[in-house]
Amino acid sequence: MTTSTIAGDIQLVGLTKKYGASTALNALDLHIPAGSLTVIVGPSGCGKSTLLRVLSGLETATDGELLIGGLPVAGQDAGDRDVAMVFQDYALYPHMTVAANLSFGLRLQARHDRRGGPSKAEIAQRVAQVGGLLGLDKLLHRRPAELSGGQRQRVALGRAIIRRPGVLLLDEPLSALDSQLRASARGEILRLHREIGATLVLVTHDQHEALSMATHLVVMDAGAVAQSGTPEELFHAPATEFVATFVGSPAMNLQPEGDGRVGWRASDARISMADAAGATTPDGLVVEGTTETCEFTGDGQQVTVRTGERVGERGERVDDRSGDRSGDRTFIITQREGERWLRVGDPVRAVIPPSQLHHFDRNGLRRNA
Amino acid sequence: MPGAERALRRQTAGVAWHLVLSVVTLAMIAPVLWGILTSFKPANEIYSLSPFSAHPTLEHYAHAISEWPVAQLIGNTFVMAAGVAIGQLLIAVLGAFALAYFAPSARGLILTLLTISLAIPPQALIIPQFLLTAKLGWLNSDLGLIVPQLGASALAVLLLLQHVDALPPSLLNAARLDGARPLEVLWSIVLPALRPAIAAVTILVFITTWNDYLWPLLVAPRQIDTTVQIGLRQFETAEGTNFGGLLAAATLTSLPILVVYLVASRRITDAFLQSGIK
Repeated sequence: MTTSTIAGDIQLVGLTKKYGASTALNALDLHIPAGSLTVIVGPSGCGKSTLLRVLSGLETATDGELLIGGLPVAGQDAGDRDVAMVFQDYALYPHMTVAANLSFGLRLQARHDRRGGPSKAEIAQRVAQVGGLLGLDKLLHRRPAELSGGQRQRVALGRAIIRRPGVLLLDEPLSALDSQLRASARGEILRLHREIGATLVLVTHDQHEALSMATHLVVMDAGAVAQSGTPEELFHAPATEFVATFVGSPAMNLQPEGDGRVGWRASDARISMADAAGATTPDGLVVEGTTETCEFTGDGQQVTVRTGERVGERGERVDDRSGDRSGDRTFIITQREGERWLRVGDPVRAVIPPSQLHHFDRNGLRRNA
Repeated sequence: MPGAERALRRQTAGVAWHLVLSVVTLAMIAPVLWGILTSFKPANEIYSLSPFSAHPTLEHYAHAISEWPVAQLIGNTFVMAAGVAIGQLLIAVLGAFALAYFAPSARGLILTLLTISLAIPPQALIIPQFLLTAKLGWLNSDLGLIVPQLGASALAVLLLLQHVDALPPSLLNAARLDGARPLEVLWSIVLPALRPAIAAVTILVFITTWNDYLWPLLVAPRQIDTTVQIGLRQFETAEGTNFGGLLAAATLTSLPILVVYLVASRRITDAFLQSGIK
């Protein structure tokens, strides 16, 4: 293991956090590269929020080592670490103006460290700078109650970055916003990441958000890291069945194969009408059935035929079929047959090239990794 | 029509309820009103059953003001009530914050003990408390009136703790991450958010202490050091009770509390509603 002393580099070794008898983090090993936008994703209860709290210093790990910028931070209190955090509910100080919210940390710094701390002029200058960066210039004298949800989030971001931390933690930063604001807030976070150069660690349960934002993606399950790497790695070579079904939408299809299972993504399948395709012997996995036994979905302009019903022209899946994705013969494919839209009951076959198949053993681990 | 019937029934219930409330209110203010009216009656009419005097007089007031140290007593009482209120508030703010912010492992035990202490009647503790106060040489002094009563801060602690616990934890965590030390979190984040609750608890303690009788009677029996409530005893003499003077003095000394009520009635209502006490 290489230890680096780059600011913003985070190294976790065997990190364990227990609450009484329950284990939230189980001997977790993880490296978060400096300057990355690392997204930690996982189902609720997987320990991702606990991990963030341990990184911030709000919680102390029961066991294991945590290095930030190459230095162990075990004894350091939350405020002394080179870490800032944006809370899910923003946690703005309700009785302070936007400017006072932004400058609170700096004013404390000035009070604690009269020589090295920032001067009044410097604080004012940095408030103005952060306000400008986040478009808060005209809101500096308002109180949080007078702001919209999106504005509050920008104040929370500003309060976190004004101290120029090496690491910025974001706990479900988009979950409190409506879907329209979410896209612009996502852009805001990406832009901020480019401009401040800090390591961003963002926790979410939304794998869409995770895939679209991350430079480094971490999937967590049951208090441990299931896989970490670039989003491409996790998408194209999932290490476990759990990662395979959690990353990507629609989720990877799985069906039995030997004592394990084989998985394939809808986007990798070549679809044809079953009766027309019998002529050639395809190389790869062949899935045959009708649109009643195969489930079709899609995105963009593609056609959607789903079991028993057709869903809109855009074809977003609206139901959660995660329960019956594994054993039965419900598959998700995103194609259409030439100009003709598939209809419910049409016979179809899908061919998936061998290179696009993912094989898992009986423990759900990737075989051909 | 069932809708109209229901509306009618609701209306009837409302009228009945207000009737009950009116009777209760009347029963509560009648003695006070009677006392005030009686204080204007000349001595020979004191026992008359007519509420209004045929010859209203201010003689009892003149007597109370000239013969009775009204300003001194109100001053003493104010010092005691304010001292106890401020002292209990300090204890309650620090105690509630510490219990909420540091969440000590003994938090549950401490809360249980505080709750149990509420169930102990103050009379049961009064003899040891008195002996201790006497030993400290605090009899007939403000210290003796105030300090021992700070031991009874459990209610104030529990009331404020509810409010600190109700703050979103992320707010305190955000301050901690901003580098605030515990007392700075208390001062900059918790206190501003708790201002209404603090006002309510202060008023609650102030009024309770103002009306206290037993403790000042024991600690400061001398007329010049004592509080209004004890001072009123002076009108009960071996020759009988001077009801006119007593009621005039009581009316006079109720005025400061009345002013507090008028100024802060909204806060006081909130205080009593929140505490679930009357």
